[in-house]
Amino acid sequence: MSMEEVEEAREEGSHGSMFEGGVEVRVLVVDDSPVDRRVVEGLLKRSGAMFQVIAVDSGKRAMEVLGLTEGKEAEQPTVDDPKIDIILTDYCMPEMTGYDLLKAVKEQSCQKPIPVIIMSSENEPQRISRCRAIGAEDYLLKPLQTNDVLRLRDYVRPTALSPKTGTKRKIAIEMMSENSGSERRPCLAGLAVA
Amino acid sequence: MVLHISSALTASALHPLLCFCFHNTYPEMENASGLHRQLASMKKNLFDQGYLDEQFYQLEELQDESSPNFVEEVVTLFFRDSSRSMANIDEALQQCPRDFHRLDKFLHRLKGSASSIGAAKMKNECTRLREFCSEENLDGCLRSFQKVKNDHTILRQKLENYLQLLRQVGPVDRASRSGS
Repeated sequence: MSMEEVEEAREEGSHGSMFEGGVEVRVLVVDDSPVDRRVVEGLLKRSGAMFQVIAVDSGKRAMEVLGLTEGKEAEQPTVDDPKIDIILTDYCMPEMTGYDLLKAVKEQSCQKPIPVIIMSSENEPQRISRCRAIGAEDYLLKPLQTNDVLRLRDYVRPTALSPKTGTKRKIAIEMMSENSGSERRPCLAGLAVA
Repeated sequence: MVLHISSALTASALHPLLCFCFHNTYPEMENASGLHRQLASMKKNLFDQGYLDEQFYQLEELQDESSPNFVEEVVTLFFRDSSRSMANIDEALQQCPRDFHRLDKFLHRLKGSASSIGAAKMKNECTRLREFCSEENLDGCLRSFQKVKNDHTILRQKLENYLQLLRQVGPVDRASRSGS
């Protein structure tokens, strides 16, 4: 089975998952690295915070999922029918970078664009400022840790946190113990570290 | 089965029988604990020799009954992706004239994925290689890249052996295995 097929099968499984009595957050993960996509997906699903993960390998694919094309707005405002609650995107990607994607999402005319979190292995203050300046909610350093993904729920709009029902698999909820080791890195410049 | 042995003579007479009865279970139990020890020793070596860092523990913590082969999955993805990156880097280093900007993009990708699985030696050598690249120091790049290739080969072999043993240990034993 190719990696693409594996990802699609996993996505189908996650779409069929049930969080009984719980709240589901739909995360669009955008990263050209298959390793990082898988690790982030694993972190999100294992965090116990009930994320439904859609993973794509490029900014262009992300735009398709979001119903956007470059330079145009969505035909239907995403705030009315949000398929994605939050976007977690790598910064460095070929062709369309995470910054380009961030800009495209924030340029939507709807009242509350989808929150966008940037991931990067580079702790560059200028890059962080650039992202913040156009509306990135956060900037996380890779490799991501458990407490990074748990913070994502803080950025999701309250209207998106509604119970989901349906025929889906029950998922055991357990909190992962925090990694021992180095303390977490700063997020956006100027924001206190949680 | 409970045996009450009332005399030394009886006990010595029964000794061969007892050995025969336990023969089928003791070797398996000893084998299982032997595999555990071997697994722990292999992992310790990988960390002591600097090939892996704590990020690898993160991968192990993400493995559970819903993703029982998570570590092997990610490691396999890594070696597939990194082999591609290294082929690109090789080609970029042979290209004339060299495009160090393009080379850096490949190095960034390789370093990132190495970091994600805890491949510490590779990650650190990629950092050095990127420094040579930023200086447009071709000799430095070539020397450093050779080290990256060596580290990649050794890590692949060690992790293949580790994962092979991990498969032998089995899912029940894996669930009870500690992360350190």
